[in-house]
Amino acid sequence: MYKHQNSQGSGSFSWVFQRVTGLILVVVMVGHYILMHYTPESGHTYDAVLARMQSNWYRVLDLTFLVLGMYHGLNGVWGIFRDYKLKPWQTITIMSLLIVLGLAFTLWGVKTILDIPYVQTSTSELLVN
Amino acid sequence: MSEFKKFDQRNWVKTNLNYKKDPGSWAWILHRITGIALIGYLFMHIFSLSPLSQGRAAFNEFMSHYTTPFFMALEWILFAFVLFHSLNGVRIVLVDWADGAKYHKALYRYSIVIGLVMFFAMGYVMFSHEIHQLFK
Repeated sequence: MYKHQNSQGSGSFSWVFQRVTGLILVVVMVGHYILMHYTPESGHTYDAVLARMQSNWYRVLDLTFLVLGMYHGLNGVWGIFRDYKLKPWQTITIMSLLIVLGLAFTLWGVKTILDIPYVQTSTSELLVN
Repeated sequence: MSEFKKFDQRNWVKTNLNYKKDPGSWAWILHRITGIALIGYLFMHIFSLSPLSQGRAAFNEFMSHYTTPFFMALEWILFAFVLFHSLNGVRIVLVDWADGAKYHKALYRYSIVIGLVMFFAMGYVMFSHEIHQLFK
């Protein structure tokens, strides 16, 4: 096996993907901020979220945002750790911690998004009320 | 075997602070600090939106804590972090993929100016309700 776990591969894929996900996140973040702060209600009430989540496009967008954000963030944290000379046990511990935490919180977020019910009323009616 | 200078753990902070920093060094340092803060925020964000599963009353009750002026101010500071990380991230991509190494210091200055303008513009958007109350 590898003497140092972090010498596996060149890491070039994660380097490119960090930039690609970053650019996607910048674009989605603009939309996110407009949606959340257009009015004080749009980002902070249950009904606004419920109305948006009637559309599967919003659900898919939010799921993508969540997964890409989590990947980009944790890969970034891992990149910081990689700058320091880690012992193999430190590498394994940090890597496992990042993966377990990342997976747990991603699944929690996915569950939160998918738990939001589909209601019978039309989206426009919800927005009026 | 090549000779490596022994890493001086005790004077680590001092060595780093004394190192001459140009805009690129500051960008690198701040990109890390904002990045760590943002992934920390993402974890909190997932936690704080989880009451969505408990229905309208529970969620609105929970969210009422976050619409206080204190949390709104924190959200504004969060936007500063997002802005720096986004603009500097675009700068990094330009340096890597678009010959940006030739103009990265200028890019850094432009990022700061654009960032400040967007920061105050967002301040107006977020606090517009309160600002209108003041000048009524």
